[in-house]
Amino acid sequence: MKENEAIISWKVAGLALGLLLTLATFLVKPLGVSTQFVVTDAIAVHAVAPEAAESNTYLSKYGSKDDWGVGYGWMLVAGMFAGGLITSRLLRAKQPQADKGSMPPMWAAVFGASRGKRFAAAFAGGVLLLFGARLAGGCTSGHMISGMSQLALSSFVFGLFTFGSAIAAAHLLYRKRG
Amino acid sequence: MNTLVIGFLIGGVFGAILYMGGATSYRRILGTLLLKDMWIIKLMCTAIGVGTLGIYLLDLGGLANLSIKPAYLGGVALGGIVFGIGWAVSGYCPGTCVVGAAEGKFDAIFTVLGGLVGAFLFALAFPVLDAMVLQPFNFGAVTLQDLIGINAVYLAIPFSLLLLAMAFFVLKDRYE
Repeated sequence: MKENEAIISWKVAGLALGLLLTLATFLVKPLGVSTQFVVTDAIAVHAVAPEAAESNTYLSKYGSKDDWGVGYGWMLVAGMFAGGLITSRLLRAKQPQADKGSMPPMWAAVFGASRGKRFAAAFAGGVLLLFGARLAGGCTSGHMISGMSQLALSSFVFGLFTFGSAIAAAHLLYRKRG
Repeated sequence: MNTLVIGFLIGGVFGAILYMGGATSYRRILGTLLLKDMWIIKLMCTAIGVGTLGIYLLDLGGLANLSIKPAYLGGVALGGIVFGIGWAVSGYCPGTCVVGAAEGKFDAIFTVLGGLVGAFLFALAFPVLDAMVLQPFNFGAVTLQDLIGINAVYLAIPFSLLLLAMAFFVLKDRYE
């Protein structure tokens, strides 16, 4: 069963994540990711067409006249990329075979091994993820992990609807194979 | 230390935990959503259990920089439904797709690109959605202790213990 484990157990990962959240809340503020997709869009749009970014009521919340740059939250997401990059290079040999690569065996068994199909689904899923996260005001990290840890009503509502919808969607996708 | 550097370092540890803990694994995410593999949910329950305890202990000393999200319940519910479909279809969430992309997983890179498009589409739709969905059911930055009217610690400790008990004793994998 060793093959089915991860590099560290859920216990160690969960404890480390809880302590990291506490440290972040002490130093600056709780963890969050999805806002930074908007910040990235705002910076990109502002670079190409400044007036379009400044006149959009949502994008302009994330930049002011003289400052369309990156802040703490964006650096956190950049750090996530760096952390993933370094650990995956160092520890690749320890990662379970089933978790490697761009084509999950579970997906291929039901939907076929077409890379185009998997990537199209991953892209479409990404569109829905961030549209939904911005509508709800947060994602798994900001709403569920940080939000529930602060006992925020909105985060419990988010968790309920997200898990309900995701569980239903997953069962629909994999209805042929229980 | 500069907050940008602190952000980068905290993010670095966050990304490392998600990678090493198997949170970028498609079979684990879908296994969780198909209610067979409890790894991810046990990881999350432990993180929230420890986080709740840590944050409210900090708060007792006045040291927590809390950030309570407003409960505009129309947007939260509808956004949660849309998010859930995207989660099941891609097998990633906004944080794990960034880490998966760093691992060199092409499907994760496509989820990041889709995410940038999704966030942009939301920015375009924001004026309409704000008036129709976000403002009508906005109850402000409410916490459970506000609703119940007791001191946060009396809620935080049992909630934390409940989640840790779920993770360590209640939730079990179900493979046939």
